[in-house]
Amino acid sequence: MSTIRRKPGQIVVWVLLALVTLFAAFPIYWMFNTALSLTSELYATGQDLWPHLERLPRIPGSLAAVNALGLLRNSAFIATGTTILSLVMATGAAYALSRFKFHGKGFAGFFLFATQMLPQALLVVPLFALFVTLGLINNLSGLVLAQTAFSMPVATFIMKTAIDKIPYEIEESARVDGCPQLGQLSLIVVPLILPSMAAAAVVTFFDGWNEFLFANTFISSAEKWPASVGLAQFMGQYATPLSTVMATALVFTLPALIFFLIVQRRIISGITAGAVKG
Amino acid sequence: MGTDTTRVAESISGEPRDEQASPAAHRRRRRLSLGYLLIAPAMLYLVVFMLIPLYRGVQLSFTDTRLVSPAAGSYVGFDNYQFLLGSARFWNSMTATIIYTGAVVVFSIILGTLTAVLINRPFRLRGGVRAILLFPYATPTVAAALVFVWIYNRSSGVMNETIGLAGLGPVGWLGDPRYGMFSVVFATVWKVFPFVMLVMLAALQSVPDELYEAARVDGADGLSTFRGIVLPHLMPTIRVVALLMTIWSIRRFEIIYLLTGGGPVERTNTLVINIYQQAFQQQRLGMAAAIGMLGVVLSLAVTVGFFVVERRAAAQEAQA
Repeated sequence: MSTIRRKPGQIVVWVLLALVTLFAAFPIYWMFNTALSLTSELYATGQDLWPHLERLPRIPGSLAAVNALGLLRNSAFIATGTTILSLVMATGAAYALSRFKFHGKGFAGFFLFATQMLPQALLVVPLFALFVTLGLINNLSGLVLAQTAFSMPVATFIMKTAIDKIPYEIEESARVDGCPQLGQLSLIVVPLILPSMAAAAVVTFFDGWNEFLFANTFISSAEKWPASVGLAQFMGQYATPLSTVMATALVFTLPALIFFLIVQRRIISGITAGAVKG
Repeated sequence: MGTDTTRVAESISGEPRDEQASPAAHRRRRRLSLGYLLIAPAMLYLVVFMLIPLYRGVQLSFTDTRLVSPAAGSYVGFDNYQFLLGSARFWNSMTATIIYTGAVVVFSIILGTLTAVLINRPFRLRGGVRAILLFPYATPTVAAALVFVWIYNRSSGVMNETIGLAGLGPVGWLGDPRYGMFSVVFATVWKVFPFVMLVMLAALQSVPDELYEAARVDGADGLSTFRGIVLPHLMPTIRVVALLMTIWSIRRFEIIYLLTGGGPVERTNTLVINIYQQAFQQQRLGMAAAIGMLGVVLSLAVTVGFFVVERRAAAQEAQA
């Protein structure tokens, strides 16, 4: 590439990059901007392009008015439960898939992948029937159980990829030193894959945090709604000011943004190690 | 739609390469029962919360069960399937699913790959730009849908104000049958293209530097380097991403449900939206399950097709 030919090309690259970054950021910015707008501006005089930062102090009050904290607490409960349950099962499964030979292993791997094909909307019907029998309707723990079925395979993939990368010799030498297999898992493997476990934890946590379909179907009383359902309920009605809805959406979104940015590298390597053969 | 994350190739191909070669392999076989013990909880869990419900779903699809009395359906054989295959509404739903899936797959792969190529070189602020590009991926779907509903608002939304500057519109982005599908696809592509970008970025980093060097020596410009060297190198990854995007698009629910609910005039009434409507609005659980099964058949067909294509491509690449 000569410098002469490079220059117009570089400008195109920068323009494209600016456009795609704007595209990615705008809806989040608009959420923020709308949260700081007055209803009269939104529907009559027009929304300003620049945010009214001086109205930031109003946000806590409007969040309290819709009990945003209660909604987020329910989301956090579902998310935490899903994370713990998923990671406990996924750690064992990932270790088994990575380090053991056994009959049906190929099938187990396929089974885990096949779960990605099943629509939640299909399982919601029979799960509804199952949960009625088990008394898990209108119960946050029921949502944890349902969501874990979808999140745990993903956590397993992320951790299996991480364990595959650890040289077996490390465990082998521990074994020679008399360390039992389960000790190798907990003392050697787990510490080495902690960053990937953290990534798996973030992914499963926000699966539970974001989950909408099961919650919308299984939860009937408003005080048990997670934020996803609460927000969707605001959408259809005009009683809640739009700025309040957007402020709630924003506090619902921010934790996800922050945590995903922290662990993004690990998620990427987990996602890609399997998909990219290079 | 939950997490968009799966590692396909490996989970399917089974074990890591080094395993057979390892001298400890035969010793590990003795500890086989511990392997079962470790994987058993996960497998049992999936049997209880996925396989049995799925089986129940298959059963339901052969009954006329209704939501009001889920235990009281009676066996109707293939009636539900027969009805669906002869119903214009079902085929409209199938068409909507295929249009939606095709559009999301194509546009998210183009945009995601382009973006990956754009940020695959060191420049100032690269970390910050990449962080911003990940925003959509991290945003909860419900929050994303909410802000898009406002952006698409017919009278006050920023979308119509923007095209209004060019003297166009206003357009009913979510209410006009001509634009409903576009609006849903646009919002979905926003949400999922960063995933494609991430995967492509990793694939790009595995392109050997010597290849770029060779292209530079040959005097190739940026575009022909991309076409001649980078793109062929990315193709295996693009195929896997296309499979994932397809499967996930076929089953995607929330963003469509919250933006249009399947409207306007059923233009975005994909199979999954149709399942939900049949089950919880029409209260026909049996019919809903039958639609779901046909949706699973569609996903399976795509997956099998993918592996056939993949095997052929791999064979060709091995020959070349």
